[in-house]
Amino acid sequence: MSKLLTLISVLGLTVLMISCDKGIEPVEGKSAFSGKIVFKGGWLAGIKRTHLVVFKEPIRSVNDFSAANLSFVLDSIPYGTKEFSYNSSDMQFSPIFSITPGSHKYIVVAQSKTPELTLIRADWTVVGVYCESGDQSKPKAMIINTGKTTANVNITVDFNNPPPQPPM
Amino acid sequence: MKNIFLILFLFPLVFITAQTGILTGKVINEKGQPVFGASVLIVGTVRGASADENGNFEIKNLPEGTYSIQVSAISYERKTLNNILINESTKAITIILTEALIQTEQIIVSAGKYEQRVQDLTVSTAVLQPEVISKRNHLTFDDLLRYVPGVQMNLEQVSIRGSSGYSKGAGARVLVALNGLPMYSGDNGDIVWEMIPVADIERIEIIKGPASSLYGSTAIGGVINIITKSSVKKPITNFRSYFGVYDKPTYDVWDWNSSFRQFYGAELTHSNSYENLGYTFSFKKFDNDSYRQNDFTKRYLVYVKLNYDLTKENKLIFFANYLSMNRGNFLYWKDSRNALVPKDEDNGNIVKSNRIFTGLIYHHHFSDELTSEFKASYYRTKFTGYGLEVTTSTADLLRGEVLVNYKASNEFFITGGMEISHANVASNIFKNPTFFGGAGYAQAEYKGIPDLILTAGFRYDYIKINTTNGKNAVTPRAGLNYKFTNDLILRASVGTGFRAPTPSEVFTSTAIGGGVSVIENPNLTYETSFSFEVGMHYMMRDISLDAAFYQNEFKNFIEPNFTENGNDIQFINIPEARIQGLELVSDWNIIPSTLTFSIGYNYMWSRDIAKNKSMKYRPRNTVYTNLRVYPNQFELGIDFRYLSRTEEIDPLMLLIVVDGDMRVPIYVTDLMAGYNFFIMNVPAKVFINAKNIFNYNYTEFIGNLAPIRNYSLSFELFF
Repeated sequence: MSKLLTLISVLGLTVLMISCDKGIEPVEGKSAFSGKIVFKGGWLAGIKRTHLVVFKEPIRSVNDFSAANLSFVLDSIPYGTKEFSYNSSDMQFSPIFSITPGSHKYIVVAQSKTPELTLIRADWTVVGVYCESGDQSKPKAMIINTGKTTANVNITVDFNNPPPQPPM
Repeated sequence: MKNIFLILFLFPLVFITAQTGILTGKVINEKGQPVFGASVLIVGTVRGASADENGNFEIKNLPEGTYSIQVSAISYERKTLNNILINESTKAITIILTEALIQTEQIIVSAGKYEQRVQDLTVSTAVLQPEVISKRNHLTFDDLLRYVPGVQMNLEQVSIRGSSGYSKGAGARVLVALNGLPMYSGDNGDIVWEMIPVADIERIEIIKGPASSLYGSTAIGGVINIITKSSVKKPITNFRSYFGVYDKPTYDVWDWNSSFRQFYGAELTHSNSYENLGYTFSFKKFDNDSYRQNDFTKRYLVYVKLNYDLTKENKLIFFANYLSMNRGNFLYWKDSRNALVPKDEDNGNIVKSNRIFTGLIYHHHFSDELTSEFKASYYRTKFTGYGLEVTTSTADLLRGEVLVNYKASNEFFITGGMEISHANVASNIFKNPTFFGGAGYAQAEYKGIPDLILTAGFRYDYIKINTTNGKNAVTPRAGLNYKFTNDLILRASVGTGFRAPTPSEVFTSTAIGGGVSVIENPNLTYETSFSFEVGMHYMMRDISLDAAFYQNEFKNFIEPNFTENGNDIQFINIPEARIQGLELVSDWNIIPSTLTFSIGYNYMWSRDIAKNKSMKYRPRNTVYTNLRVYPNQFELGIDFRYLSRTEEIDPLMLLIVVDGDMRVPIYVTDLMAGYNFFIMNVPAKVFINAKNIFNYNYTEFIGNLAPIRNYSLSFELFF
């Protein structure tokens, strides 16, 4: 009997000790993503801006090409670059568009011939898509975890094989 | 002494004057019903009496003095009442027995398709009494199962000894039956726990191991058989209601709603009989606002049962229950900072469903040696999900079974039967398959060798889904039970099992959010298992110990898996999987009639052999403890459970669920306090429960924070 009471006491103490642990807690910290963009073929003349752009949802209509659907814009990539490694935490184009935890379903490299950053669909050409197994017609979602960096968000831009363009 | 658990409440109610030296009284249960056959003994003497059919007893010619009285009855907790003074006045006492929480002695179970004493079984079995549901205020039946050693719940999906991971309810491996009639749906093959008529439960039998040789496909992991009550001789009405609130979450950032979220319910059940016809009606309304956003449930359940005694031995039972449910469809949290809020795209998604389950059982008594039962059931399920897409499914499942029990001699007993089932599904996500199953089974029990019970049996199944080839399966099984000493029983069993994929596993084709879809797999084939168990049950005076080692080898184990492109989920066959484990359960009567302690431990080693990894969503270590104190009419209890951190999850799920990899061990502590009393001679109960008292935050499945600390008050009347 005394052994059992000892056992119960030990279990009771264990319960009290673990009661200090609150289990899962919200993660704090900045979320980010990183990767490499590889450019194949020659750059078109007249390109003023090349950005990696993250949208929450795929662009199914011209209305989806909007600030509401825009998650993040990377700093402009220099003209003629062959390979570009990036980390979103260091290369955020505008504080208005900060990457947030969640699923982001359309990540592209887009180019514009206008010097200003516009949200006019006709100003932009998608030249690379974050996708499954090289099939640029199948965009891949990117998951951003709280306080963590999602790595290997790699995109290949093949100027000789452009991806399908979203609706104008 | 064999393992009997104890009585809750015993106290004198009425004192009347009678002849000197006569002790009279009445033994009733908590519902005011007489306990026929209850044994009343004067401790330290050979004097005693049995309660008659009205619960009355009388012990004459007692010398004056002070006595202790011990009262016991099958299925009830035993109680010793001290300091009963016998003098010139006879004291008529009313003794209230409480149905036992868990018992192993003298309990008859029928999960093996015929009635057996639980200590004669060849497999691990737990028998639960339903009172624990109201005492702990479990909101749905599956909550109860979280406290049973060897049983694990992953959200609403039950797993016995690791039989299932998580597949959103599709394809159960544990057969849940009501009076032996399976309750799985025709499309998902899932179990809807809210359908179970808790108010009419007599006992719950849990077979912890494959039972395909008797029950077929769905029972590859075990059986939960729910037995409803017999008809009553006198009218009885039970009213129960509860109200509870969820506490504030641990972190302010999780406090998505400034109010205390509530849950509440009420249930009215009435039973009576008219000549040979017994009946039970029940209506239950139970809603839950939930601690999470868009996770509400609004439900009502209507239940009817008729018992008709055609003759003394031939009986007919009919029951029907109807469940209407409207709930939010919370799939995953938004992220760890929004752990109680669904993903934006899921917010507002709801599911509306209606289900009706009816059963008919005809018991025919040919002779004392030969009896038979005809069982039929019809289960219609319909749901419509409003979300990314509108998903809908209607399934009709018809089932019939003929069962024969034959006692060839005192040593030899045979059970055999045949069953057929047919399902039609009309759905925009499961296609429109039809399903047919036919089976025959037989089992023999031999008791010719002293202290030894041998069983052997097999089942043949033929299963066909209209678009696939038919499958045949033969599942043999054998077991033994050996009473080594009066205190020690050894058992062993070996057998095979099989499980056919459900229409939902084969045909589901729908988007589930996050850019991920479930796709069909017409090539999905059935899984098989080979299992064995060795165990022992040791009983001392006030202590019992049950130990079991088990091993299950699976071939073509069906599990959901991400396809290679990472965008789709598909049910596939895992070539080979193995689950081994050791389970220990011990119950202690520390202070008879006052203090009990139970502990259960399960070590489980599960392996996907090809990948040499643990199987998904299966904790390696689980511990359950329960401490109960019940002086007089009070009752206090504390439950604690621990599950180790699940080693493996589906890593590609992390592409859908932000912060989905936040897994922790589970430590949950619950408190319960109750008081039994009378209101104008009407038995009543009040219970207060505090669940997850340390507000420990954990998940049973990715992105689903388990219930936070909550408090509830329940009240029950029997009149």
